Amino acid sequence: MPRQVLEDTLTADSIAADSALAASGDATAFERLYRTHVARVHTLVRRMIDADEADDVTQDVFIRAWQKLSTFRGESAFGTWLHRLAVNVVLARRKTVGIERGRFINEEEPLDGLSSKRVTPELSMDFEEALASLPEGARQVFVLHDVEGYRHEEIARMLGVVPGTSKSQLHHARMALRRHLER
Amino acid sequence: MNDLWTNRLSEYIDGELDNNERAKLEAHLATCGQCYATLAELRQVVTRAKSLSDTPPATDLWTGIAREIRREQAPPRRDRLVRRRFSLTVGQLLAASIALVLLSGGGAWMMLHSGRQPTSTTFEAPSPAVPPRQYQSARWKVQSDMAIAELQDALSANESKLDTATVRIVRENLAIIDRAIGQAQHALRRDPNNTYLNVHLANTMRQKIELLRRANALASSES
Repeated sequence: MPRQVLEDTLTADSIAADSALAASGDATAFERLYRTHVARVHTLVRRMIDADEADDVTQDVFIRAWQKLSTFRGESAFGTWLHRLAVNVVLARRKTVGIERGRFINEEEPLDGLSSKRVTPELSMDFEEALASLPEGARQVFVLHDVEGYRHEEIARMLGVVPGTSKSQLHHARMALRRHLER
Repeated sequence: MNDLWTNRLSEYIDGELDNNERAKLEAHLATCGQCYATLAELRQVVTRAKSLSDTPPATDLWTGIAREIRREQAPPRRDRLVRRRFSLTVGQLLAASIALVLLSGGGAWMMLHSGRQPTSTTFEAPSPAVPPRQYQSARWKVQSDMAIAELQDALSANESKLDTATVRIVRENLAIIDRAIGQAQHALRRDPNNTYLNVHLANTMRQKIELLRRANALASSES
């Protein structure tokens, strides 16, 4: 067996083992799961909401994961389950803090915070910074569709909008971000 | 640039236009350099999004998470944990134990294949600290093989009492253990006096016996 294949197998097996142990109350196993997945979860959260709230929300995701581990039956990979949980936590928070109003921009209006003109090199911002500058609705649709691979129907269901709105938001986000591609 | 078609470029990239719309848009692209250039930029955005990398938080968040977990593990939480422990499926518990066997076996495999073979003088056997010679004894092997054979016969007779998913999990885990045993036996043929490998083989066979016992016990409880 090639070494890389063996190591990948062992990693997947150790995650499966740790998720079962953590579900039985083993906090040490849960810490190992945290170490393995925190970068992925934190990055997702940071892209979906304001960066200064990312730490708190990421902690909330892992605390909820600990509370809900008994419902994880192993049908999917632990990482997939955790990722979906993180998306749900972010979207639930969005409703809780009452920031729905104005999150979806009018299709005819330019995106706030992003110039419609091509930026000069000295004014260019990092792609991640440009992404963070998008209005929340467009940013979340872009992250869920283009970064995370969700389909418009799933996104529309999660956000409580029609698929056409999700498609429109995605196009506006892409149109704004194309001006901030690193050259 | 035609706004009507520009606003459909993302749908075009994502393959969401029907044949008629796609044909019309492609005809437009053949005559509109600006839309053609925009399409290329939008494709770059899609490609860039897929290449974004993950970065960990600037500070370690585990301390706050651990504090909350400890708070939840206070006495009221303990009752819930007990219930949760019993709510685990047999498959989850078996997966945990088998994965640990594999991790241990994989470590042995990698050590042997990297040329850094542990020797009996440098590797301390895991507990229980039974003398390695005992593991090597023909008597021990015969007893283990007999126990496994008996339990496997019993499981064959009882398997129909288990649901399909459980049977599948048990078979998969037995296959994993058998591979681990095979690897250990293979490694021992090259280094028969290696303490770690002997203890590992014994522990893996004990895991197999334990798995077979659990499966038989589960089948008995179902009857």
